[in-house]
Amino acid sequence: MPYVSQLIGKPVTDVDGVRVGYLRDIVARARESMPLPQVVALQIRMPRGTICVPITEVAVLVAPAIPLMQKLSAIKPHAHAEGDIFLVRDILDQQIIDVNDVRVVRVNDIELARVKDTFYVANVDTGGTGLLRRLGLLRLFPGRKRRESARTGIIPWDVVEPVSKNRKLRLKVPGDKIAELHPADLAQILSDLSRVDGSKLLESLDPKTAAETLESVEPDFQASLVEDMPDQRVADVLEEMAPDEAADLLAELPKERSTSLLRMMEKEEAADVRKLLTYADDTAGGIMTTEYTTVSAGRTAAQAMKSIRLAAHEAETIFYVYVVDRKNILEGVFSLKDLVLAEPGTLVSSFMQKRVMSVKVRESQDKVAQLVSKYNLLAVPVVDDEGRLQGIVTADDALDKMIPTAWKKRLPRLYH
Amino acid sequence: MQSRHRLRPFAARLALLFAVVGPGIITANVDNDAGGITTYSVAGAHYGYTTLWIMPLLALALVIVQEMSARLGVVTGKGLADLIRESMGVRITTIVVGVLLVANLANTVSEFAGVAASLEIFGVSKFISVPMAAVLVWLLMVRGNYRTVERVFLAASAIYLAYVAAGILEKPDWSLIGRSLVTPQISFDKGFLTIMITIIGTTIAPWMQFYQQSSIADKGLKPADIGYERVDVILGSLFAIGVATFITLSCAATLFAGGVHIETARDAALALRSLAGRYASTLFALGLLNASLFSAAILPLSTAYVVCEAFGFESGVSRKVREAPTFFGIYTAFIVLGAGIILLPLKSLVQVMIASQTLNGILLPLILVVMLLLVNDKDLLGERHVNGKVLNGISIAVIAALIILTGALVVSSFFP
Repeated sequence: MPYVSQLIGKPVTDVDGVRVGYLRDIVARARESMPLPQVVALQIRMPRGTICVPITEVAVLVAPAIPLMQKLSAIKPHAHAEGDIFLVRDILDQQIIDVNDVRVVRVNDIELARVKDTFYVANVDTGGTGLLRRLGLLRLFPGRKRRESARTGIIPWDVVEPVSKNRKLRLKVPGDKIAELHPADLAQILSDLSRVDGSKLLESLDPKTAAETLESVEPDFQASLVEDMPDQRVADVLEEMAPDEAADLLAELPKERSTSLLRMMEKEEAADVRKLLTYADDTAGGIMTTEYTTVSAGRTAAQAMKSIRLAAHEAETIFYVYVVDRKNILEGVFSLKDLVLAEPGTLVSSFMQKRVMSVKVRESQDKVAQLVSKYNLLAVPVVDDEGRLQGIVTADDALDKMIPTAWKKRLPRLYH
Repeated sequence: MQSRHRLRPFAARLALLFAVVGPGIITANVDNDAGGITTYSVAGAHYGYTTLWIMPLLALALVIVQEMSARLGVVTGKGLADLIRESMGVRITTIVVGVLLVANLANTVSEFAGVAASLEIFGVSKFISVPMAAVLVWLLMVRGNYRTVERVFLAASAIYLAYVAAGILEKPDWSLIGRSLVTPQISFDKGFLTIMITIIGTTIAPWMQFYQQSSIADKGLKPADIGYERVDVILGSLFAIGVATFITLSCAATLFAGGVHIETARDAALALRSLAGRYASTLFALGLLNASLFSAAILPLSTAYVVCEAFGFESGVSRKVREAPTFFGIYTAFIVLGAGIILLPLKSLVQVMIASQTLNGILLPLILVVMLLLVNDKDLLGERHVNGKVLNGISIAVIAALIILTGALVVSSFFP
């Protein structure tokens, strides 16, 4: 199958065999109905300027000299449409996202496939063979063509996404491959991209996915990603984030921007975040979330179950349910297991644990981590000086502060 | 272990300082590496104050070149190798990266030579010091604590101030120095011309643009930070040139006055022992050791990043050795080769240093022209950040001067 690098630069002749110019670029178009972009036109470099010739006017594409069907003057130039990809300008030498392997790679060559009389963009070549072919050095490695290794680095088009200057192009592609990625994978891709490309990618995600993705990257990196994003959009994303994560991000932004963002957020979410922002980020208050589940001691197990079902959608964890009195003072805790095993009529006060491990809002995050590891807890409640429940720290957040997030760069960066 | 503990609070205080300053100052500090110190010492010892006038001009040239690289990094968020690949295609990229690879390898060899030379002053055999330095440098990356190490090195860069102190203590003729700084003096002595050109070659080296721009991209600086980043670049360049000036004049005040002939920085340190006392000699040697170790750590890392950026190999992420073989391979090969060549029974390492500067000289014009093209690209930087007419005029003049001078260096190195 032909490679783009083998076609570019070939002379183009008209129907009389007169050379009109050289092949400069190949235009492909992505359509909803087709899995692969179809080659629709050729861009020809002439002594003066360029012209785009529709592929229907090209007699043979893969030839030492590419003949056209008519005289150049008789050809109506290709009409550009949205979704047109210039393979050399937009894809070759640029970075693309390999959705399968979750990584960012550089395109060394592009392979076309011919089905009947139509050419499609089939694969991108990111391997060493592609590089050698581009440099015209492939003949120095005769074994390379046949060997298995020649196919390494060749990625089918349907699992790649261009990191294009013009990201709108991506949205035209059927079945958004990027949005289907796990937020942790998206976070890894973001960290591989430059700041500019990363923030464009983030902006193209829906607020919920963007929020989950941001939660998986470090706060200082979050801040640089949302730098160029419009305020309203950032506010939408912040609302979707867990309040503790949102507070971490806001704390990294300049004061005026975080104030105006808080004003744009929904009242209820903003209030939670505001409260969290008052705690230093190395204290229990600074890493806690305000989304947890409570019931009162006088309820029965059945009532407790019902209220959890109704109210706990937002909660980070429902493995622990906290028991509070009317003043929100922490009285006890029970686990989901306790609840499920209890007879429906039993009172919460009879099966809850009265001795609760808790921390004060201003206690250090190390204390939280110690409690989590000593008592094997999934979450630790955080109370104020009067014993009122203020939030919980989940085990993953407590440990995050001790151990870097799993995908975090292990290799040193030049400057970080 | 003991000394590391004592270093801590000092390093911690310096860490605060380096949150404010950035890539510009770090790059400039690495600029005064083994090759640089040697060149400046030889210039001072052999030609007294007569080479000083080049320093203010070099400061201007360095600021202009490094500012362009900073601007490219800040606005695009990409490394220089990324930009060259995306804008200039695969051929130019391969040539640039190929020469850079060889030049950086030669530089790395000269850094290990600096390690060997400085420790030999303290009576440590190179067969002990060089392998130990290699292992230390390699572990830096595997341990991934690069950021801390970088700060320790930079804290130790305060040793550079010892050159300033040494210069002042030697009571040089300040009015003569003042006149020498502003009065161009040309001698058509071949040795004088060579040393002048070598000073330029070692002060404005191609790896600096790559390293600084990647650092800026990695740090996630934004267009809004451009003013601050300019200050960083200007401060860094002035500091580097200031230190270089003081190395030259302290050698001029003692060695030139005493008529001592030296070939290497080690000779300088040894000669200082008899002329300026043991203390000055020890400081000189420690400064050389620090500069060599720091540069020996940074050059292989920076080279591995450039190659992976340019050709899209896996780097930076949480990859294991098997997943990022090229990255680890280049890094390891550089350290092994750099240290290994020093251990070969070669007569003199001066040739290696000169070879590295010659290669820098070949590469610099190419890099500067490419950078000038990039920095004038409106599609890349936008109207606001491309070079203005005045800046372009100055840049072209500076680059033309550098090209002529480094060209002369290259030619002269072929006809000794």
